[in-house]
Amino acid sequence: MNLTEDKIGAIMKAAERIRKDCIWMSTRAGTGHLGPALSIADILATLYVGVMKVDPKNPKWPDRDRLILSKGHGCLALYSILSQVGFFDRKYLGDFCTKCDTLLPGHPELKLPGVEANTGSLGHGIAIGMGMALAAKLDGKQYRVFVVTGDGELQEGSNWEAAMAAAHHKLDNLVVIVDRNRLQLGDLTENISKLEPLEEKWKSFGWRVKSINGHDIKELLSTLNDVPFSIGKPSAIIANTVKGKGLKIAENKVEWHYKVLTKEQYEGLKEELALEELGNERI
Amino acid sequence: MREFKKSTRTSFAEAILEVGSENKDVVTVAADSASRYGDFVKKFPERCFNVGIAEQTMIGVAAGLALCGKIPVVTSYANFLAFRAIEQVRVDIATADLNVKMVGTDTGFSSAWLGFTHLALEDVAAIRSIPNIVIIDPADATEAYLATKAMFEYKGPVYMRLRGRKDEPVLFGGDYVFRIGEGKVLKEGHDVLIISSGSAIYESLIAWEILRQKGISATVVNMATIRPLDEALLLEITSSVRSVVTVEHHNITGGLGSAVAELLAEKRPNVRLLRMGVKDTFGTAGSEEMLKAHFGLDAKAIAERVEVFLKNDCENEVS
Ligand SMILES: Cc1ncc(C[n+]2csc(CCOP(=O)(O)OP(=O)(O)O)c2C)c(N)n1
Ligand SMILES: [Mg+2]
Repeated sequence: MNLTEDKIGAIMKAAERIRKDCIWMSTRAGTGHLGPALSIADILATLYVGVMKVDPKNPKWPDRDRLILSKGHGCLALYSILSQVGFFDRKYLGDFCTKCDTLLPGHPELKLPGVEANTGSLGHGIAIGMGMALAAKLDGKQYRVFVVTGDGELQEGSNWEAAMAAAHHKLDNLVVIVDRNRLQLGDLTENISKLEPLEEKWKSFGWRVKSINGHDIKELLSTLNDVPFSIGKPSAIIANTVKGKGLKIAENKVEWHYKVLTKEQYEGLKEELALEELGNERI
Repeated sequence: MREFKKSTRTSFAEAILEVGSENKDVVTVAADSASRYGDFVKKFPERCFNVGIAEQTMIGVAAGLALCGKIPVVTSYANFLAFRAIEQVRVDIATADLNVKMVGTDTGFSSAWLGFTHLALEDVAAIRSIPNIVIIDPADATEAYLATKAMFEYKGPVYMRLRGRKDEPVLFGGDYVFRIGEGKVLKEGHDVLIISSGSAIYESLIAWEILRQKGISATVVNMATIRPLDEALLLEITSSVRSVVTVEHHNITGGLGSAVAELLAEKRPNVRLLRMGVKDTFGTAGSEEMLKAHFGLDAKAIAERVEVFLKNDCENEVS
């Protein structure tokens, strides 16, 4: 085994853990955007375990790489990976949407260690990321800013305003990862307001683009470790994914945008998916 | 109070179907979530437009449709309408006096666990800062149905607040009458006047009962139209009742409480006022019940505050 293989194994384990945590948290709470979280599990695991420089014990370390979950409704996955790498104790996962004023609400907030921006209103992340990337250049720092957006989210014009400006400012320390699961809240993106040709859109806005399989850890790792794709240009990665990935009844189903397992369904799947006891205080 | 439950969104969709069946100029514009228009979308797909997750564009498109004689309805989570698209609301719709019906959903505490981005607690303040928009905050499904119909009888921009998908107690029966600009006396009393709207009405009515059992007699007014405010009704009641409490599932700044305060400060300076609402802070995550308790806006908290307010004779009651 070489170093990369070790790393890939660790990432796969973390992604698996994300999926189980997401299902556990959302079933306990009886609420949550499960499908959107499962589609970014591999992306977030690769970033936090294999790519980003962060110091969970010093979450505000000025030189850290930043991740903004612009599709804030996918926060179940973010909470899981932040707890796995040690930003906060895993006992807090049980607070997801069960306690009033919780640190783990239905959209991520800065009050939780490791969260870099308040999101939940779509179309904010790229501009915030651009500001952070500008600050890095200004301060002569090497950190990079990763922004994970939804694909439906890209229908918000604010994304394209920021995309245009970031290319203009030659921000090669800014990376956008589009979770291209082809579904949004109500339907397929291509049935509501077409995104294709998506690669060409990013290119024409001055970005270097790569399209990859967003569930292939090897491809994610090599692509994410290859940024910037060009000096002087921001990078966009179109990660082709499956909404609800890993939970068969949810995969590619529009209604699983904002739906969770019933406790009975959970018990039924427990063995097959090696899920934790719902009643556990900590997993 | 009847036991029957229904969501304000359901009755809105029913009314849209009726109004749209009769009037071919009615069109809907959605930003992704078209399901809020219910069966209208299935029956009249050619009159339904979805612009994708793009609320500003949704408002702009509605303006264009209205400028060509259509009567557009737009819906979104209230915050994405009242904040994300506020410039379009102001410039494209309000100043042009366009006949567009804007419906913000998930207001008050009804978006629950989604947290502060979705909890609409400042939307009325935002819209009220723009001239020329009627603002309606219906108390239940019956009123939401009637208000939806009424807003199409009115010509001009309207902003209406709805809540989530959850069924809520239906407070009013088939004989209920809604008119834009008219407050409704739901309970009559002489010690204190409680003015409320939207989801806070239910809590205010329960508070009325708690107070009654303590020997406090309250008038409860449903101020479903926040603008234009029913000044005549309030001036009439406050000519005899000198203690006024406003209750809203909204920030105390800029909403119903502010509207009442503005009126009373100018026309009834000798009336005491207590504004109950979210006290100039952001919403947070919790179930609706948890949030009402957290912000002191459930029936129990309302009754307690009113009682203290009435006992406390000093004029410096802080809200
Ligand atoms: C500005 C704004 N408008 C609408 C919403 C409501 N909303 C939440 S998620 C969602 C769909 C997002 O689709 P996509 O970006 O494809 O993400 P996915 O759910 O596939 O992860 C919508 C419309 C929102 N959160 N913010
Ligand atoms: Mg999507």
